[in-house]
Formats: sequence, C-alpha cells, structure tokens
Amino acid sequence: MSLATYYFLTITAVYILMSWGLYLPYRVAHLHFLTVANMLISGYLSGYMVQTLEVPFAVALLAGFAAGGIIGYIVSLFIGDAPTFTVVIVGFTFIYISRTAVENIKAVGATMGMFGLPAVSGSPVMHRWTILILLYVLVVVVGFLIYRFEHSRLGRAASAVFVDKDLATSMGVDIKRLGRLLQTFSSLVAGGCGVIYGFIYRSFHLDFFTFHLVGIFMTVIFVGGYATMWGTVLAAPALYGLSLILPPAVASWRIVIYGTILIAVLVLKPEGFITRRLAYKLETALSRRRRR
Amino acid sequence: MAQNEVLLRVEGLSVAYGHINALKNVSLEVHRGEIVVLIGANGAGKTTLLETSLGINTPNSGDITFKNKSISGVPADRNVRAGLCLVPEGRGVFASMSVLDNLLLGAHHNMKNVGKNLKRVYQWFPRLEERKNQVSRTLSGGERQMLAIARALMSAPELIMVDEPSLGLAPIIVNDIFEILVHLNQEGYTILLSEQNAYKSLKCAHRGYVLETGKVTLSGTAGELLNDPGVREAYIGA
Amino acid sequence: MQTFIAQVINGLSLGSIYVLLATGFNLLLLVAMIIHFAYPQVVVFSMYIAWVVLRYTGNSIVLAVLAAILSSVLLNLISAPLFQQVMKNREEVDINTTMVLSLGIGMIITDVLSHGFNKGLPIAFPSKLIGETPILRVGLISLQGGQVASLAVGVLAVSGIFLLLYKTRPGRAFRAIAEDPNGARLVGIPLLRTGFESYALSGVLGGLIAVLLAMLLGYSSPGLGEQVAHKVLAVSIIAGLGNLVGGLVVGLALGILEALVQGYISGSWSNAIAFVVMLLVMLFKPRGLFGIKL
Repeated sequence: MSLATYYFLTITAVYILMSWGLYLPYRVAHLHFLTVANMLISGYLSGYMVQTLEVPFAVALLAGFAAGGIIGYIVSLFIGDAPTFTVVIVGFTFIYISRTAVENIKAVGATMGMFGLPAVSGSPVMHRWTILILLYVLVVVVGFLIYRFEHSRLGRAASAVFVDKDLATSMGVDIKRLGRLLQTFSSLVAGGCGVIYGFIYRSFHLDFFTFHLVGIFMTVIFVGGYATMWGTVLAAPALYGLSLILPPAVASWRIVIYGTILIAVLVLKPEGFITRRLAYKLETALSRRRRR
Repeated sequence: MAQNEVLLRVEGLSVAYGHINALKNVSLEVHRGEIVVLIGANGAGKTTLLETSLGINTPNSGDITFKNKSISGVPADRNVRAGLCLVPEGRGVFASMSVLDNLLLGAHHNMKNVGKNLKRVYQWFPRLEERKNQVSRTLSGGERQMLAIARALMSAPELIMVDEPSLGLAPIIVNDIFEILVHLNQEGYTILLSEQNAYKSLKCAHRGYVLETGKVTLSGTAGELLNDPGVREAYIGA
Repeated sequence: MQTFIAQVINGLSLGSIYVLLATGFNLLLLVAMIIHFAYPQVVVFSMYIAWVVLRYTGNSIVLAVLAAILSSVLLNLISAPLFQQVMKNREEVDINTTMVLSLGIGMIITDVLSHGFNKGLPIAFPSKLIGETPILRVGLISLQGGQVASLAVGVLAVSGIFLLLYKTRPGRAFRAIAEDPNGARLVGIPLLRTGFESYALSGVLGGLIAVLLAMLLGYSSPGLGEQVAHKVLAVSIIAGLGNLVGGLVVGLALGILEALVQGYISGSWSNAIAFVVMLLVMLFKPRGLFGIKL
C-alpha cells in the first residue's frame, strides 16, 4: 500500500469519526467543538504515555478514550442543555486553553511537538496496517452505534429537540440528559481519534490540532447533510480528496475553498446534499430490497 | 348615512397559515368617517384580517384596496406612510422604551409634522404628557392602550384599525377608551375596530360585520346588529 | 502605584476597544438578528487593508482610516444578503445557521490573511501611528500618542453609538426591532432595510476599531482575529447577550483586569483571564451578569 493511499484512508476515517462526533450533538443543536480539544488533550496524553512513560499503545489508547469521555462528561454537566452559542464558546475556550497549555509545557514538547513515537506493532508496515484496521473498526462500531441510536426512541426524541426545544420538553424529553449523553459520547470518540491521529504520523504537533479542524469538520457535516449520518460518510472523503486532487498552489488555499463551499451550501442547499428525505428514501429502498 | 367614499375595501380575501384557513373569502368595506366594528370570538380571524389589510401577511387570494389603490402585497411600512395604521392587540407598545420614544416611533414615517402632532396628541391624552419620559412598562393597562392609540395618531393616519381595545381592561377604562375612539371619529378619523365586546362597540359604531371561523356571517348597521337575535345570544348575552 | 495607574490607563484603552467590538456585535445580534462570530475577523481584515494603504500612500493616516472603514462596511454589506438568505431558509429566524455562516466567513478571512498578505507573517504598523515619543511621562507612566488617541476615540465612539441609539430616529428603529421585531413591523418599520443599516453601522464601527487596534497594538496577524473574537464573545456572554450597557461595563472591566494581570504577572496569562471569568460566569450565572436582552 502506498503512503499516499495510507494517508488518504486513515485521514478520511478520522474525518468521518470526528465529523460524526460533531454531527451527534448537533442533533440537539449543539455545535460541540470541545471534541477538537479532546483530540488534542488525549492525543498529547497518549504520546506522553507511550514515549516518556513507555506505556503500551493499547493502554494509552484506552486512556485517550477515557480522558475524552471524562472531560466530555464533566463539561456536559454544565452545558448539557445550554444554547448553541454557549456550547460553541465553551468548545473554543477549551481548544484555546489546551493549546496554550501544551505550548507552555516542556514535557510534551511545547511548540516543538513530539516526534519519533514508537510504532504500534513491529515494523512500520505492520504499524500502518494496524492503524488502518483500528480506524475502520472504529468507524464501523461508531457508525453502528449511531445508527442504532437514530432508530431508537432516544434518537427520535433528539430530532424533536432540534426542531422545537420547548415542545420536546413538554413531551417529556429530558434535554439535559440527552445533551450530556451525546456530548460525552462524542468527546469519548474524539479522544480516541486524537490518539490515533497522532500515531498515523507517529508524532504530535500543535499544527495538527488547530481551529482549522473545526472549520473542516463543520464543513463536512453541513455539506454532507446534518440531518443524517450518511452525509458525513460521503462528504468526508469527498472534501479531503478534493484537497489532494487540487494542484499544490491551489491546495494551500483549501480552507478558503472549504469555507466557500460551506457558505454556498448554507445559502443554496441548507440541508446539505443528503437531506433527511433522501436518506429516508434510500433506507426504505434498501430495506425493501433486503426483504425480498 | 350619506354615501361617503370607500376608504378601505377588502374583497374575497383568503388567508391560510399552512393548512389552517384563517380567512375564507372575506369581503368588507369601510367608508370615510365611519366607525366599523368587526365582531367575533377568539380565533375568528379578526387579527388576521386587520394584519393582512395592513400588509403584514400576503393573502392567498383576494384584493385589498385603500383610497382606491390596490395594496395587496404592499408591505406594511408603505401602507403606514399612505395613511393606514393598526393599534395591535395587547397594546403593542415597546415596553422598554419611554412614552415619548414610543410616540416618536409612531411618527417614524411622518417626522415633518412631529412637533405639531405631538402637541395634538398631548391635548388628547394629557396623562401621557405627564409621563412622557417614563418607561412604558410602568404604565397601567389603560394608559398603555391610550399610548398605543396616541402612537397610531402620530402617523397622521386616515384610517385607524384597532384590534381588541378592550382586552384585559377594567370596564370603566373600556368606557374611556371607547369615548376616545368616538371623539377621534368626530374629529375626522375613520375607525375599523375588532372586538369581542359586542355591546359597547356596537353602541358607538355605524356599521358592523360578524366574523365566525374566518367567514363573514352577518353585516349591517350597528342598530340592526344590536337587535339581531343571533348576535344578541352569541355576543351580548342579553 | 505608578505601575497600577499606567496599567489602568492601558486597560481603559484596551477596554474601550472591547466595548466597541461588543457593541458592534450586539447591534448585529439585536437588529439584524444574526450571530456574527467573524465580526472581529472583519475588523482585523480592515487592519490589513489600512496597513496596505499606509504602505502605498506614504503613511497617510486619513486615507488609511477611510480605507479601513470602507473595507469593513463593504464586507458587511456583501455578507448581509447571505445572512438574510440563510435566515429565510427555515421558517422561523434560525440564528444557529447564521452562526455557522459567520464561522465560514471567519474561516475564509483568516485563511486569506494567512496566505495573501505578507506571507502570513504578522504585520507591523509604522511607529508614527502609535507615537514614537511618549507625549506624557510621569515616572513609570508614559503615555504614547496612540494610546491616548485610542482611548479618546474609543470614548467618543461609544458615546456616539449610545447617542445614536437613544436620541435619533434610526436609533429608535434599531431599539424597536431589538425589543420586538413584529411590533416594529406593525409600526411600519422596514425590517430588512433597517437590518441592512445595522450592517453598515457596525461596518463603520468596525473600521474605526481597526484603526484603534492598530494604534494600540502596533501590529496585526491572522490569528489576532480569532483571539480577539473569543475575548469579545466572552465579554458578551459575561455581560449577557444583547446587553449594551452590560457590554460597556464588562468590556472596560475586562480591559483593566487584563492590563493589570499583564503588568503584575509575567507570561501570557492575561489572555486566559477572560476565559476563566467567562467559564465561571457561565457556570453560575448562565444568563450573564446583567441579563440577556434578546
């Protein structure tokens, strides 16, 4: 497998997972940007554990998930039912603070970053395959969980909250608990993603975890369609692939391109490309074929 | 009553909110110098009729003519400038702004004569002048209704539409308000008002229409409606 | 004591800029009914435009100011129809989508600045702008011309805005829409057109802020927009969304607090102060210290 393919497949998987992490809380109108901070924190934590403390990767990975989940849970205790605006600001704040913290902590490499992390398993080739398989197992698992959630009672309640918060409450939906659940889960997934993201390159650097990521993941869910999980699956490889196809001179402007696409979609096709109706039609068509 | 010019004419007006038909094929006219009453229960469509005439909603079908010019689809601010105005239900004053600011907002499209109009409005409503720098939230219900009417006057309208002026007011205050409306009418203002309180409003009106679930079911002079047994039973309880 | 006074003066200059930014943001929130996360980025973009004009016109301050104001007004007016279209796409006014739209705009502006100007490196404003020699020196306290100018202009601008809002016809229309858009419509106030006017006004304000920031900081960078954006949003949250008077108090207070922290504690902790206070306020007084006025 060529390096280019490796990077394409792995980064795409990360994009899908992180965008799902943004998609889930947005079901209740929360733009949960804390997930990017979770990536950073768990990533650096695992890097430190593996490189300095010589902890095995598996343990560090689990620690990354745990850190994400714990932080996400604690923060959600405060913003579980907050307005979207507040959730956004809290997310930004944590990104800002964690970046500043890493900048100033020598032990995790400060502005230099961490390099030359040990391979996850044996040879570099094995390492790449392990990471790849790990990522796609994660994609399938998380995708399955989200799918089950959407088609559950709780998932339908979430759609109600998005449309009308007060109406949902009067129907007995506990918004705070729902918000907490979605935020915690997303942060958990994001934590694991952050760990794996660094191990794709076997290094951690502040440049990996910038506010640009916020923009990218936001573009993915809004272009793909924020009403269903399938939009992300299509938009993530499409958008990432776009930046790879473009000639290098243009590619350096990819954030501008993403931003323009985002704005165009918001104005012209506000529900994104995979709208709720389209997804419903596809799902029923597929299930009908299965029944035959 | 001499055949005066028709100031406002509504023909075949139908307005729907989604699947709800708020107005079905409603027609009415208001002649200059009249007081016309729209009687109807809650949800009959009175507010929709007044707001659509002002230009807040666009009707699904039908025509609205003001001073012989069609205003269907014309936005509200243009109609206000042309001499049509609405005193909304529930007073509709800006609670956080002062009495004076509210009045000045009424003159938003007529700032040329604001000094003159302000003086006149203070003559009509001396209590408002006393409280001109007070925040409107601190006014009583009756004072707020007066403020709403005064604000409408600031735009020097020809036709004043008033939506349920008696709502939530004590009977004595309601009498005051109706007295004011009659006086205004005598001064030359044409008035179209909607009311649940049929008796008091018919007593000061020239003509009336009865609106039930979006349709005009009865119309006639005030006297005819007051004596109509159906009206008496449904809206007067006599 | 002298450090204290010097830092308080610094803080007031910085604070008045925060107040102006919060006011421009709140204006758009209340009258245009949008959340414009990228408003500070528009301001930073105007700083860059001013810088370019200064370079090509031999430091003509007047032209730079005009250029800054023009650029932010234009940016606002261009984005206005985008915002208004996005608000129409859902039946009710959907303020969340305006937030996402503004984040998209911010993305673009920041990246354009990172690539299109000075190879993404920070830009420095000519020291003449700030004032090379201090105009007043009392012990440790030295006032640069730029500081005094930014404080003076800041105070004037804030007073100007409040005067506009409370004593003029367009200001009344703004306040009416801010309190009750439907009621405003019934009085015949054109919502869309007045919304447009608020874009223009916050644009003018933005250009002014750009110049003031240039005078106070002496530099600009693509990242400055994000930094300042977060602070200004923090001010809005701490004061209470849409609360103009609250924004005034909190903006000034934060400026002074930051300056004091900077003066007495080394390191870049002054930036974090805003966020710590904001997080605390969000925990204990989620509607802001002075209440949300939406």
